[in-house]
Order: sequence, then C-alpha cells, then structure tokens
Amino acid sequence: MVQILDVMQKALEGKPMSESDYQLRLFASKVQEKVKEYDIKFDPATPIPDDPSLADDVFKAAFDLVVDVGAYCTNTNRVISYTEAEVRNALKFAPSELWFGEGMDRKLMRTRSVGDKSPPWCLLGAGGGACSSDRSFLTLVEGYAEIPETNAITTPALTRVGGMRIRPASPLEVLGAQRNAVLFREACNRVGRQGIPVMNTLSTAESDIALAGALHPKYGLRRSDGYMICCMDPMKVDFARLNKVTAVLGIGGAIGMCFGPMMGGYAGGPEGTTVSNVAHHMMGVLTYQSSWLLPFPLHLRYVSSSCRELLWLISVTGQAVSRNTHLLTVNLNYTSAGPSTPMCLYETTASVTAAVTAGMHIESLGVASNKEEDRTTPVEPRISAEVGHAVAGMSLADANQMVLKLVQSYEKRLADPPLGKTLYDVWDPERRRPSKEYLRVVRDYKKKMSGLGLPLRRDDWD
Amino acid sequence: MPLRGLFAARGERPFVSRREISVSADKVLKQLQDSILKCDSAAAVSAAKAAIQAKVDPLQAIEKGLVPAIEQVGEKFERMELYLPELMLAGDAMKSALDLLLPLVPKGQKTSKATVVIGTVQGDVHEIGKNIVASLLMAGGFDVVDLGVNVKTSVFVDEAKSKNAKVIGASALMSSTIGSQKDIVDYLSASGERRKRAFLVGGGPTTQDWAKEIGADGWGKDAVSAVKLANKFAKGR
Repeated sequence: MVQILDVMQKALEGKPMSESDYQLRLFASKVQEKVKEYDIKFDPATPIPDDPSLADDVFKAAFDLVVDVGAYCTNTNRVISYTEAEVRNALKFAPSELWFGEGMDRKLMRTRSVGDKSPPWCLLGAGGGACSSDRSFLTLVEGYAEIPETNAITTPALTRVGGMRIRPASPLEVLGAQRNAVLFREACNRVGRQGIPVMNTLSTAESDIALAGALHPKYGLRRSDGYMICCMDPMKVDFARLNKVTAVLGIGGAIGMCFGPMMGGYAGGPEGTTVSNVAHHMMGVLTYQSSWLLPFPLHLRYVSSSCRELLWLISVTGQAVSRNTHLLTVNLNYTSAGPSTPMCLYETTASVTAAVTAGMHIESLGVASNKEEDRTTPVEPRISAEVGHAVAGMSLADANQMVLKLVQSYEKRLADPPLGKTLYDVWDPERRRPSKEYLRVVRDYKKKMSGLGLPLRRDDWD
Repeated sequence: MPLRGLFAARGERPFVSRREISVSADKVLKQLQDSILKCDSAAAVSAAKAAIQAKVDPLQAIEKGLVPAIEQVGEKFERMELYLPELMLAGDAMKSALDLLLPLVPKGQKTSKATVVIGTVQGDVHEIGKNIVASLLMAGGFDVVDLGVNVKTSVFVDEAKSKNAKVIGASALMSSTIGSQKDIVDYLSASGERRKRAFLVGGGPTTQDWAKEIGADGWGKDAVSAVKLANKFAKGR
C-alpha cells in the first residue's frame, strides 16, 4: 500500500516534466482521450441520470486516467506515478467507515450506495466562507451546532486577527488558525454539543505552518475531528500540502482531501470534469493519504454547483464512486444566490438531492459562491440537511423529475443571481432564529417542496 | 467582449488592402490562423517561419494572421465552446509565433496595446483564474508577463518597472491571501510608482468594496471585466 514515504520517493524520483506540460499536454489531453474512449456524454435533459453503465464507464475512465497521469509535485516538477495494482490496493484498503466526534456526538460515517435509505453524513456550515469577526464566527457555528441533523461542522474562515487582515504563512495566520480551533469549541460548548467534530480543520489555515501551529491539544482540536487538506487542481501537490499530510498522520487524524475541479477548466466540459472528479478520489487516497474525500466541483462562470451540468456531474460522480468503491465521499455544494432568497434554497435542494441519491454524503454549503464575508446564515445548511434526510432512499428517476423542476425555476438567473441578505440582516443571534422575512421565504419554499412531493419537517421556529 | 479589431483599431499603421496581399501571403496568413485555432505551437512556429521566408510584413502577419485567430479562441472560450486547455495552448502557440515575428517589427511600430504584469499573490497557489485572465489579455492584444503563483509583493512592482507595464494584475483566491493585494498597492506607492501604473485585483473573495478599500484602480469580477479594465488603463492611469 502506498504510504507517505512512497509518495515522497515517487515525488523525488518520478518523471521530470514542466507543470504546464503536465496540466495542458498530459492531463488535459488524457482526460479527453478517456471521454472519447468510453463515449461519455452529458444529457442536459437528464441532470440525474439513471444509467449504471454510464457510471461504471466514468469509473473505468477515471481509473485509467489515474494510472496514466498519476499526480504532479510542483516542488520537484516530477510526475508521481501509480501502477494499476497500487490504485486497486488503495481502493481496497481505504476505510468504508470512520468514527468522528466525542461522547454523545460521536457518530459513524458509513459508505453509502445509490438510492441508500440511510441518511447522509451531514457536515454543515459555511464551507470555509469568510467571516468578518470572532462574533460572526461564533454566531454561525452556534447556529450550525443547533441543527438537529448536524453530524459535524464546516466552519467559516477568519479573516482578521487583532484588527489586522491575515497574511498567508505569517504569525497572523498561525494565530488565526489557533483562534479558529478555540472559537469552534467555544461555540459548540455554548449550545451543549461539546463532542461535535469540526471537519474542515482548519479553514483559516491555508499554510502548513498555520495548521501545525494549531494542532496542540490546548487549542481544542481532537484526533476525532476531520482534517481537510486542499488539493491543487488538477491532480497536483506540493511539499506544503504533504507537510500537512505528514503532520496529521502523526496525530492519527483522518485526512479528507478536498478538491474542486472547475467545469470549463483543465478537464474541459461536464464529461471530462466528471472523469477528473472521480479520478481525484483515487489520487487523494494515494497522494494525500485520504481516508475520506471532499469533492466540490464548480462551474467556471457561475462558481456554484447547481446548474444542469454540475448536477449531472455530482450525480454521475456519486454513482461511479459508490457503485465501484466503498470510499467515503462527501460532496460540498455552492449556490449562486444568497441568504433569504428562494433561489438559494432551490439551488441547495437540487445539489443535495443529486449527491444524496447517488450515494454521497453532504457538506453544505458555500452560499452566494462563498465570496463575501458574512453572506451566509445557519438557515441554508439547515435546509440542506432536512433535504438530505428527506431524499435518502429516493430513486434516481424521481430525483431527476424533482430536480428538473427546480433547476428550471432558477437556471436563467445563475449568471446574475440575487445575492440576498447578510448574516445580521436576517439572523437574530440572541433569539437564535431567522428574521420574519426569512421565515416567510422558508415557509413558501417548504410549501413548494411539498407540492413537488418532498414534504420537509416543520420548522423548529414555528 | 471587446476582443475585435484590437491591433487594427489603434490605427498606428494602415492595413495593407486585401488586394495587395499576394496569394502566398494569403496562404501563410491562413497557416498562422490555423495554427492558433488548432492550438499547435509547432505549426505556429512553422507558419511564422514561412511568413518570414515569404517576406510577409511581420506586423501584417501578427495583425491579420495571429490576432483574428486568438480573438476567435477567446470568443469561443467566453461562450464555453472550448475550455481552458485550448485557451492556454492557443496562447502558447501565439507566443511561439510572436517570438519569431516581433523582433522583425521595425522599432516605433507598436505591436501590443500595453504590457500587463500578472500573477497570484504571495502565499496563494491558485492559478486557474489568473491563467484565464492572462490568456484573454493576450487575446485582447496585450503583452502579458505572467509571474506565476505565490509571487512576492516586490516582484510584482519590480517586474512592472523593468517591463514598463502600464497595468499590474494581482489574483488571490483565499480570504487569508487577499491581504497581499493591499501590500502590493502600498509597495507601489512607496516605490514612487503608483501614478505610473494601474493596479487591478481579482479572485474569489475579492469585491469592488475591497478594491476601493485598498486603493486599487479596479476589480475584475471575472476575466471579461478584467480585460475591459486593462483596456481602460492601457495608456496609463
């Protein structure tokens, strides 16, 4: 089985190649070769396809791609190659279940299958979106921790420390990462969910030194948290990321490689980006020593994952991975629209449905492309979780019908979406509930969803 | 997308009329165009050599051969009819041909609108957005100096000075790295260079308000708006 020393050896002894040649001439052309070879075709009329052979072909194409292109180390300018046997072994020995959290909040994440009736793992929160202050961070995380379906939290990222904007790999980033860990535990403690895990450890730590600086137990991080390490697109790694891998392995933490192939980017259109997305799962288990995976594919223009192409991509990825492996895969979705808009809720409903019915777990979500500070509230992930539980067990055909109606309602606005309101406009931290205005939006949304055949539970705020 | 007529529109040099172009020149211009449309650097080099051998005016080879083709690629990318690899490979092919043709353009005849120095800020290794903007700028008639990713603050300014760039573009994708964009503005001001060069920012967590807050000259919401801004500042601030 490939381990970290093997990865380093491959990174030091692999075939030398320029980064440009790797991504443009090797990776990009091989992806298109696989799409052609396996005759993979996107169908806009079926954003959630029910075609097992398509899913299996995508998996085979992705497997071949990993064997053909491996990964690329930007520090050594070498290709990290893997044999077929190494890829097969990595898939064989990857865990099919993992425990996260402590005490009453200790839960088991299990692999899911297409149409699985078990609810998805709900990793809820901001998906690393920027927040303006410690107060916003606490407000948001308290809200996430109070969502009944929350299995784990994905925190926002702090942007300032001591009134200064964080600079990468500086003491400000190290202090920000430590503060991220401390504030997370504080927020969970405040609402009585002391054992809940953070699983984007740590969104404020982009650099290796910032993560390492926050790993001391006194800041509150635990081995039972999830340690997210972001991959460089496409299939790339550097020593800073491998430093993070080594540090987390050293404390026995479970690494989740997150990767965001852009549709329209190096892998081309929806077909190629789907193959790339599945291939990144395998590459992540090998290169980043991941025991769980965190794909967040996005559309290059919309910077969200709710258009037809992305829904198809998410669904086919989930089906390909869950039909052919036991990997633990958690799809992160982004919306184009912002809080307190119906469109935002419909977008997250469509993306979550695509993921859950295809056998994936969910991380939800990046709101309004996760662009602006504090343009997110605890309401949107709560809706995602309710939907995630409600659609578990739904057939792909039924999911397709529902998602088609949803996507038709918003797709014309994806290029110029309503950005909605900010955190304190529509969320009352003292009363721990949304404004009347937002509650009306939520109720109208639930009425519509009920009409579409997906009754959701009554709000705790009613 | 203002990608059309970029070289022609400047009017520094009248175009040779179509009738004046010999059959052989026509063929060479077609070869240049095809090489860009096929994203083929080797073919672009061959076509540029053929243009030189056929004694085609190098400026004409650029303006009538390379530019219309790279514009077409840029437009197709905008419509998502082709994707990032094709855009970048077409840009590489264009550079390969320009390396041969530009030294032959007589001094005093401008071959680009302006020079733009572009990169991803210190501590940030995200490159896709920056690569798209760099490719579209080149398609838009700019001479682009791509500094890559994780670029030190001083390097943006020093390179802009040495290349006499009218525009500096800095991309940042992380909320923890956009602070480096402010450092570049400050360094530019402290170097006495602020008035000479426009400073543009872009990337995931950046906004118009952020650009205003740090004193940047503009914020590119996306690659298209980045090119529009570069056009606005092509002759300086």
